[in-house]
Amino acid sequence: MWLWFSKLGSPKWFYELSSKWLPWLVVFMAVAMTVGLLWALLFVPEDYQQGFTNRIFYVHVPVASISLACFPLMAGAGVITLVWKMKLADMVAKSAAPIGAWFTAVALITGAIWGQPTWGTWWVWDARLTSMLLQFFLLIGVIALRSAIESPDAAAKACALLSIVGAINVPIIKYSVEWWNTLHQPATDLTMNENGANGPEIWVPLLIMIVAVYSFFVISLILATRNEILVRERRSQWVMDIVAREKV
Amino acid sequence: MTTHPSPQQSNQRPQVSTFSAFQATLRRDLLIALKRRNDLLNPLMFFLIVVSLFPLGVSSDPVQLTSIAAGTVWVSALLASMLSLDNLYRADYEDGSLEQLLLSPQPLYFMVLAKNIAHWLISGLPVVLLAPLLAYMLYLPADAYWTLVFTLLLGTPVLSLFGSIGVALTVGLGSRGLILAVIVLPLTVPVLIIGAKAVADASLGVSLGMHYALLGAILAMSLSLAPLASAAALKISVN
Repeated sequence: MWLWFSKLGSPKWFYELSSKWLPWLVVFMAVAMTVGLLWALLFVPEDYQQGFTNRIFYVHVPVASISLACFPLMAGAGVITLVWKMKLADMVAKSAAPIGAWFTAVALITGAIWGQPTWGTWWVWDARLTSMLLQFFLLIGVIALRSAIESPDAAAKACALLSIVGAINVPIIKYSVEWWNTLHQPATDLTMNENGANGPEIWVPLLIMIVAVYSFFVISLILATRNEILVRERRSQWVMDIVAREKV
Repeated sequence: MTTHPSPQQSNQRPQVSTFSAFQATLRRDLLIALKRRNDLLNPLMFFLIVVSLFPLGVSSDPVQLTSIAAGTVWVSALLASMLSLDNLYRADYEDGSLEQLLLSPQPLYFMVLAKNIAHWLISGLPVVLLAPLLAYMLYLPADAYWTLVFTLLLGTPVLSLFGSIGVALTVGLGSRGLILAVIVLPLTVPVLIIGAKAVADASLGVSLGMHYALLGAILAMSLSLAPLASAAALKISVN
């Protein structure tokens, strides 16, 4: 167990393993994304109230759901950084922050595009929109702190601590904002019952899109982490070997 | 400080009890603040000026001002607390006394707690005491005054405690003012929401037990956890 754990923490091992897995993951993501998007945009029956605009749901929901996973991910990596001082965890946390911020921004933008025809406004100070906005601010704070501290080691620890504090705060912010104002429709219910309004022709493409967007997130995270590994380990022999090989 | 403990003594428990170290840190910070009146006055003046900008920017109409009074006072208190945060560790970091604090055998949690309490007494409490006057200038309904004071009494310590984490993380940085605000302000949202809503609800005659309970819960949680995070952050920032 511990051998496996220390192996996992080695950037070189991660780099080599991800080189093997990455092509498969990309193919899988491309297939799922194509099938999901085509199905969702062309073949899903139109919503009887919202009409064609409802189709943005198939982008909005997966993006929003993965952006919520970002803070727990960064906090988990932060705990590993602080407790076991694993370098790889910090590289993942560093790469996850901007990706998470982008996903949060895309969730907000697709939400606005959806909200305009259905609610008649681009933006409302609704609980879920506001807590997404605040999560975006928290992520910006982590990124700003990272870029302000010069020493990578101190930056790693400081950002780890801030991510943990932020992750503890995210649910408190969420509930306080919810208590303050609610307009958003309740979270999409994925329980697959026959009686519910959502038949399989609605949730199967959604499920495919969720899988596709999740793998897109993982691919982005792996690619960013690989770059980070190459930058930080640039003085080690194995990175120099790779650079020499790629150049020739 | 002046005499080195003999090896035998250093194996024993520290001679200064945690409580007296806590008191000494608290007294020291309060004394420094009293000697530097500007640190004491500036947040208060800032609070006063920001609040009086709202009628100038929004409207002098009493009806409109009444509707924004609770939020304005709360947001201004938040900003004033933000402005004074830098006093918390900055000077100590520059003259090296922060390192001494980290090296001392006392638990850092209590030392940080003492500094945070001192910071609240210096910058939070005066804001709380000045708030009713500003609320009067914004035509806050009279039955909401006590709610304003009590929610600020429960809420401003949380601002100091959260802010302390942010300052501790950024104390060694060159340009830290804006970063501090970006880090700390989102964390303070729950306090702002509950505090401002309690004041607004008070003038509607709604029962306020839940608001106080939530604010109290946040205060209790941040009193017990935030100094731990601040202590860890100080150890990261001061190598």
